[in-house]
This record gives sequence, C-alpha cells and structure tokens, in this order.
Amino acid sequence: MKIKYSLITRRNFLNGLLGGWAAALMASFISPALKFVFPPYREPDEVILPWSEYKDMSPNSTKIFPWGSKPGIFKQNDDGTHTAFVGVCTHLDCNVTYIPDQRKFFCACHDGWYDENGIQIAGPPPTPMRKLEITIEGEDLIIRKPGVKVE
Amino acid sequence: MSLRKLMDWFDNRLGISDVLSFMTKKDIPQHKHSIWYYTGSSILLFFCIQVVTGFMLALYYRPTLEEANASVARIMTEVPMGWLVRSLHSWSASFMIIFVFVHLLSIWITKAYRPPREITWMTGVFLLVVSLAFGFTGYLLPWDDLSLSATKVGTDIPRAIPVMGAWVTKFLRGGEDVTGDTLTRFFSIHISILPVFAFLFLAFHLFLIQKHGVSYPLELEEKKERVKTLPFWPNFVYREMVVWLVLIGILCTVVIFLPPSLDTQADLMAPAPEGVKPEWYFLFLFQTLKIFPSQMLIVSGETMAILLILLGFMLFFFLPLFDTKPTEWRGKLITFSAYIVVLYAVIMSVWSLL
Repeated sequence: MKIKYSLITRRNFLNGLLGGWAAALMASFISPALKFVFPPYREPDEVILPWSEYKDMSPNSTKIFPWGSKPGIFKQNDDGTHTAFVGVCTHLDCNVTYIPDQRKFFCACHDGWYDENGIQIAGPPPTPMRKLEITIEGEDLIIRKPGVKVE
Repeated sequence: MSLRKLMDWFDNRLGISDVLSFMTKKDIPQHKHSIWYYTGSSILLFFCIQVVTGFMLALYYRPTLEEANASVARIMTEVPMGWLVRSLHSWSASFMIIFVFVHLLSIWITKAYRPPREITWMTGVFLLVVSLAFGFTGYLLPWDDLSLSATKVGTDIPRAIPVMGAWVTKFLRGGEDVTGDTLTRFFSIHISILPVFAFLFLAFHLFLIQKHGVSYPLELEEKKERVKTLPFWPNFVYREMVVWLVLIGILCTVVIFLPPSLDTQADLMAPAPEGVKPEWYFLFLFQTLKIFPSQMLIVSGETMAILLILLGFMLFFFLPLFDTKPTEWRGKLITFSAYIVVLYAVIMSVWSLL
C-alpha cells in the first residue's frame, strides 16, 4: 500500500538516526566507566590453611580464618567432624560469633540467631549461613566454595 | 503539554532561551585561518576527559609513601578497565598540553589578542601555567623511580632564584627533601587547589570570549561585513563535534596500544636511575638549564638561566601590551619571534633526548 504522506519526516528520521548513534556512542564511553567504578566482588574459590593449626582444637570450638575480605568460621564438632561457614549473617552481612555455651551463632546487629549447624532459628536472618566444603590433603586444610573444582 | 509547561517554568527562572538565542545569533567567521577556532574546544574536550578520568582514578589511588605505587599497580592490573582509565588520563594530559600550545601560538601568530582581548590572552597564559602545574604534580603520583627523580630535579630549580627561591622549594616539597609529605602535598595540589584555579580562570576566559565575540584575522578586520559566517549553534558546534570524534579516535588508539608504564616503587635512599627526564613539555626548559655554564658574571649559571626564563615568561604574559602596532616592523618581529620560539623549543627538546 502506498501512503500519501510519510508518517515520519525526513528531518525526524535523520535526527533520530543521529541521536540514536550519539546515544550508542555515549553508551560505549559510559560502560567501561561503570565497570571501573563498580568492581566485582571476587570471592575466593578456595583458601589453603595449615592443617597443624586446626587439627588439635577442642570439641565445640571455633576458629576464624580469612575468606576473602570476610571472616570464615571453622568449627570443630563433638563427633570429631568439622564444618566451615562464611561467618557473616545472611540478613545484612554483619560478622557473626559462635557462643559455645548456647551452641548457637549470634549476630549482634539485629539480634539474629543460628543453631550450631548454621540454620536460622530466631531474628531476621532469612536463610541458613553459607557452608563451605572442607578437604584435608597432607599438611593442607583446603576450604572451598561448594561445587567449585580447582585444578 | 505539561513538559512544555515545565520547560517554561525553568526558562522563566533561568533564562535558558536567552542563552540559546545568543548562541544561535553568535557567528563564527569563515576564512583561511578558521581552523584555529577549533583548538579551544579541543582543549575543553581533553580537559573534560581529565576531569572525569581524574574523578575515577581518585576512587582507587592512595597518596601515601607506602601505598601510592601499589595502588597504581592495582589500578593497572586488578580494577576493571583500570589500565584504560589511567592510560586515558595520562595521554589526554599530553594531548591537552599540545593543544594548549597550538592554541596560544595560533593566537600569537594571528595577533588575536589585539584590543580589547588582552585580558583574555592573560587568563589563557594563566591556564597554560595551571595546565603545566597539573602535569608536573601528576607526574609524581605513580611514585616510581623516574617520577621521584624528576620531581627532585624540578622542585630544586626554584632554589636558584635569589631571595625567595629556597622558600619556594621548601613549600613545594613540604620540607627540605622530597618525602612522603611531598607526595601527599602534590596530590592535594593536583586534585583540589589546581582544579579550583582551572575552573575559575576557564570560566573567566570563556566569559570574555562570549563578551568580545570571535576575533577576526588582521587582514579581514577592515572588510568584516563581506566575510562569510557560520552560526555557532548548531552549524559550528556540529563541525566541532566532528573534530572531537577524530581526536577521540586518535586518543583511544594511542591509549590502547601505548599504555603508560609503571616502574618499581620509588626508594628515597636509592641512587637516581639513569636517563631522568621530565615530561616532554618540560624538556626544552630542562635542556636550557643544562647548557648554561656553572658560573656567569657574578651569579651561578642556573640562576642566570632561571632569571632569563622568568623574563621570557613575563614578556609572553604581557605580549598584547607590547604588540600595539601590528602592521609596523615591531609587530612583524613579534610574529616572527613566535616561529623562533617554536624552533628553539623543538631543537632543545630533540637535543635533550640525544
């Protein structure tokens, strides 16, 4: 079908073309700037710790290790097994502490509580604390993000 | 309709339409020297790039003895696009200085500083000084061997000025020697003191240009009416944008293929590395100081050299006040001396690199 009058004037078309091109150009300038301003948080895939410092812990006690820029909590359980957590509250990222007497993790920021397995039991935390995988290879205690394969 | 009302609301309070109509009525003459009109906005382009990349680098840079070099290394290796931002900041600085030189020379040679534009020229020379000071203070910030030595030499130069020189050196260094305090001081000068001066003088400079309009070349002054003109907005601005795009293209090419290096962290106790050189735009001054003999008449060669450089600078600053008879022999000599200065600077710079 041939229409009598063009729906868009030549000037509008060219202005749109020029404007769109200018917007795309600006976007190409701004995107690297945004990348620079917001660096991604790089969580470690694994940390390697000296096993000798951890193997003689008493039952129901914890030790802090650096997990990137957050604290990790290494816990010696009663039955001789170990558990490792990312030691921050799942509510708003505050560092949590383990209270051995009560067998609970506690976050002081908003009164959040987790049981000794890191399951939320009281207060605002929405999800359990993040667990990490533990492997012991000779002298090394290796703590990994679950599901990550490191060569 | 409501958008129109909103625009009117702002217009009644800010007078935007007056500015717009001023810009449309402003005419840019077209003649064989028109190309020099583009140098000013090119400087502005590079200046804007410096401001934006400077803001960005300040997010990660740490101006202390222990962390400066490592924080630049981190920007170059860890921060996403960090190498790009630093390379842009470093190269855009050089491009800006090139265009500042070209801009000033074109005004010198075409005598665009004729009355009533003398003060516009002087604010321009101030902006040159501010630009060079930006370059000088910025050069130290990566805190590597080369930048430390260059700063030691540079801050020692004022000492040769009689009476107040030693005081200037002390002020620049924040003590007797270049130390971590100098680094922090240069950072403060670079990111807080100089920007204030740059913006003030730039605003004044731009205001004066609007007030007096664009200068016509000397030979067209008489027949202004017959010169073809171009409206500033949108015709001339669109042409300027084309120039900016070409310049951004050239800038990005060198930025990507020739990123600035970073040497090992400066060691205050280590001997100076070989081949200490300032940034390229200081080379001719560096070489000038080198060729003076150690003793001249009653003063040291260095003092003599610095006094001559200061005298030259004063002549440069007050140039429009001497150049009052442009068509007579004195005016021609002043135009000719611009070429001599360029030749001198090029020869001295090349010599210093040999």
